Amino acid sequence: MLSARHAPPDPRRPDVDALRARIDAIARFLRLSGPHLDEADLSGPRAVLERAGRRLELSRDHTVVALAGATGSGKSSLFNAVARLELSRVGVRRPTTGVAHACVWGPIDGASDLLDWIGVAPRQRFVRESPLDGDDEAALRGLVLLDLPDFDSVAPEHRVEVDRLLNLVDLVVWVVDPQKYADRTLHQAYLSQFASHRDVTVVVLNQADRLSPADTDRVVADLSGLLAANGLGDVPVLATAATDPGRLGPLRAALEGTVSARQAALLRLAADVDVSVQGLRPFVGPAVAEDAVDRASVRRLAEALAAAAGVGAVAEAAQRSYRARALAATGWPPLRWLRHFRRDPLRDLRLGGDGGRGASSLPAPQPAQHAAAALAVREIAERAAESLPTPWPAAVLAGARSRLADLPDALDQAISRTDLDLDRRPLWWRVWRAAQWFGALAVLLGVGWLIADYVVRALALPRLEAPAAGVVPLSVAVAAGGVVLGLLLAMLGRPLVRFGAARARRRALKRLQASVIEVARQQVVAPVREVLQAYAQTREALTAAERRAR
Amino acid sequence: MPAQTPPPASRDGATGLPPGSPPDALIAALDGLRSVIASVDFALTTPSAAPARDLSGHLVHQVDDYLLPRLRRLDAPVLVVVGGSTGAGKSTLVNSLVQAPVTASGVLRPTTRCPVLVCHPDDAAWFRTGDLLPDLTRVNAPTAEPGAVQLVPAPALPAGLALLDAPDIDSVADDNRALAGQLLAAADLWLFVTTAARYADAVPWTLLSTARRRGAVIALVLDRTPAGAQAEVAGHLREMLVANGLESAPLFVVPETGMDGQGLLPETDTAPLRQWLAQLAEDADMRAGVVRQTLDGALAALGPDVDLLAAAAADQHAAATTLTEKVNVARQAAREGVAHAVKDGALLRGEVLARWQDFVGSGDLVRNLEAQVGRARDRVVAALTGRPAPGRQLRGAMESGLSALLRGAAADAVEQARQAWRHDPVGVALLDAAPTAPTADLHARVERLVRDWQRAVLELVRSEGADKRARARGAAYAVNATSLAVMIAVFASTAFVPTGAEVAAAGGVTIAGQKVLEAIFGDQAIRALAEKARLDLDLRTNALLRAELDPFAELLPERGVAAARSAQLRTAGTAVAAARANAGLSADGAAPLPAWEGDE
Repeated sequence: MLSARHAPPDPRRPDVDALRARIDAIARFLRLSGPHLDEADLSGPRAVLERAGRRLELSRDHTVVALAGATGSGKSSLFNAVARLELSRVGVRRPTTGVAHACVWGPIDGASDLLDWIGVAPRQRFVRESPLDGDDEAALRGLVLLDLPDFDSVAPEHRVEVDRLLNLVDLVVWVVDPQKYADRTLHQAYLSQFASHRDVTVVVLNQADRLSPADTDRVVADLSGLLAANGLGDVPVLATAATDPGRLGPLRAALEGTVSARQAALLRLAADVDVSVQGLRPFVGPAVAEDAVDRASVRRLAEALAAAAGVGAVAEAAQRSYRARALAATGWPPLRWLRHFRRDPLRDLRLGGDGGRGASSLPAPQPAQHAAAALAVREIAERAAESLPTPWPAAVLAGARSRLADLPDALDQAISRTDLDLDRRPLWWRVWRAAQWFGALAVLLGVGWLIADYVVRALALPRLEAPAAGVVPLSVAVAAGGVVLGLLLAMLGRPLVRFGAARARRRALKRLQASVIEVARQQVVAPVREVLQAYAQTREALTAAERRAR
Repeated sequence: MPAQTPPPASRDGATGLPPGSPPDALIAALDGLRSVIASVDFALTTPSAAPARDLSGHLVHQVDDYLLPRLRRLDAPVLVVVGGSTGAGKSTLVNSLVQAPVTASGVLRPTTRCPVLVCHPDDAAWFRTGDLLPDLTRVNAPTAEPGAVQLVPAPALPAGLALLDAPDIDSVADDNRALAGQLLAAADLWLFVTTAARYADAVPWTLLSTARRRGAVIALVLDRTPAGAQAEVAGHLREMLVANGLESAPLFVVPETGMDGQGLLPETDTAPLRQWLAQLAEDADMRAGVVRQTLDGALAALGPDVDLLAAAAADQHAAATTLTEKVNVARQAAREGVAHAVKDGALLRGEVLARWQDFVGSGDLVRNLEAQVGRARDRVVAALTGRPAPGRQLRGAMESGLSALLRGAAADAVEQARQAWRHDPVGVALLDAAPTAPTADLHARVERLVRDWQRAVLELVRSEGADKRARARGAAYAVNATSLAVMIAVFASTAFVPTGAEVAAAGGVTIAGQKVLEAIFGDQAIRALAEKARLDLDLRTNALLRAELDPFAELLPERGVAAARSAQLRTAGTAVAAARANAGLSADGAAPLPAWEGDE
């Protein structure tokens, strides 16, 4: 069965590069998801990575096969029978084997590093290379056969050793016997854990000589049924008897096939990677676009941030500032300079003009505004992570909050830097200003004329011929005209100023909101996207780590 | 002596009870203990919970299956349960002992799924009544149905002794294991079968040490021993028995041999065991001794087991308390956050500030001073312009601020509680059922809360104003405006740190508003009002958060009940121990087993 599977031209044979690529994909997954997932969930795949890396560095010309089984199932007898030497101690006292023994077919040099890594002490290593055998053992060259301790006896340290070794070997031959083949420990704790490793699993019903041939078939069938229930349906089940060399044939053939194919190590690692992928699959779900942050949530966030940053107050200040400046620019010149004693509302907040350097004097955001902003941040994260599996929503929320501490300063800076158009001087201001000056000059001229006229009269100098506009003298008319012009301009200007101020407010609001949205994108949405990107990449890495369709 | 109709005198002799003290007290105490144990559930995944759940199920079974029926009929036949690993040859051994193929043996594992009870035809009536092992149905033929026991009368077996071929203790069939445990707990005598290949397996030894702890009378059979290995294996097994405190258990060695046509072992191989059993069956005193010792041992073992359950129940209570405490901490933190935000006058600033300025500066206050006129005008203005009156606008701003604050607090509380549970080994198991976000109708409930609070403040001002001199002076003011001002005072009474011109101006206005209020109500009264309103808000916040976190609490057992369980268990355990001491079932510790020459 095995030998058929591992015939050299088999197109399904795993290829080292593909395996390496899958291992790299797992490594990528771990690297990307490390900051977001629980370390305990990743320790298994991490161990697999480490192990796979080591195994691939070591000799791939050797195939490590372990004989595992319960106490009294005849592992050691089988070990000795396959090696055709009395290597491992066999006894009736249970449990017998406490440490693993290894037998290497062929020169030991190449296998030494491998056995060091597996942890078989040098004095438990045997070499099966004898000129006496001739070519009998040639087919098994490259086999490293391990005799494992039992896993079900009263000696718990045996079990610890078995658990350690089972992770490192390339192929496991489970040795069971007619008495123990249905033991719970064997099936529950071991065989069911090897469902993914069915390519590197062989089950041997040892001590078959104790059963009649008919009973052997029945037991093998029953055992196969139990294996199928554990997901090991197509695993080879061989009946052997350590005491009868004639019944070792199938096992030896299976071993020879495995050894000559040199694929067991790769198959084993591929199965390990499969298990890792299986274990990591719950951590990825449906694909999520990196820009899955919806616009409505961003708008709500920006609104909440704007309220917290005092955008309304700034816009109002901009309105009042416009008003003050407009009145200063278009007011009646004699009174206008008084306006310079008033303070600009925006400068009170340290905004506008020289803004963009220091911090503003805007009041700090208040708990209610804080709460509103925090709610909006939470909403963004929840929306973005809606369809993600368990650990990710928390990661997205953490990401959304990661720059929260910098947010107030960023908002303040953004508001400080926003150009509120303070230097803008509309054309009508200039027209008004000129007209006001003209009116003021007219008043000055008229009044000057009147004064000159009075002085001339008082000094009894020859009267100046004064033109008259109707009944009033022209000087009076000019002065009065100037006053009337000034008042008229002031009156006409007010609605314009009001209109302009409202517009300035709206404009400021729009620009401030744009700045705040920019901040929201940088400080909240960007980190959320980073997490979503990490998710997408881990997802992609896991897909890459999956076994290619064979 | 036919076992089911012993003469009265002989029965008294067999039970060994002092005259006039039937085991009624013991039965009553056991009944009490059983109901207490059955009522405790170990829902929280504390480290002690899973073993306690198993133990509690086991104890209930043992009381029902064995202790109560045995106490009621101390003279009933001795039940020898043949237990052991799968493939150990239990069924073959039972068949060989009764010299008939009463129970199926075979090469497929596990072989025995339906337990087979073999007894003398005279004893069959007692076993058929179903006092012992009441939840197993009695059948006459092998059945695949779970929960059945096959009854086989076998004349070859002496009266007064029955053999029960139990399913294995360690095969892949999980219900076999459970059933075997149940049957072994009902045994008067354990006949433990192991083999040369199995005698060092971990599973049977765990069971044997449990049996020893429970004081059960045990005999061992070392089955399927290969020829030539008998001395070594038996010697090693005896060493292990001594090391495990089971040196008093007789050990029978049965060699691995071929079987005859009926699948029975050669008679010579089982002869010592058969003779030993026959000896036990013949001697009524010896039988009674075995029954009483196992019974007494089982009763004595209840003490430590009940203590374990009580400790596990205490663990449950402690875990529930810890988890509740964590939820409370989360709630308290959220509540304090709200209290703090409200207390430092913060809600006043921003929008609230602007509206308050509207309210004071636009003359609304002056208008409201003329109560009826002002209110009427507000309504007219509202009706004409479609804009809410300034007073109501101010309230609206405060509402939305407070609403955001409370919603944030509720979301934080839920998150904090989840976070705290995530880091708790017990809590993390409950997280799947725990809410991940506040309830969907939180928004509506918060708004309702704010409105209710505002009404309460209004009511407060009304009632406080009623019996104070302020009533006369405040009569000119709309109670409406006053209550609004009180709300403001709640927020602003402590702090208006002038960080900017806006704030200073607002502070000034706030001072003005407060001064007006103080003029009306008096300084002390205002403080009292503000404090009451704040307290009211705090209580409402707490109630809201409590309701939000309720789903967490619902996942935990009620703490009062959990606390009582532990004490109830201990009390019931002590009652059983006292009743056992009075009953005097077992005179001394030595097992009254027949001597066996192979023992030495």
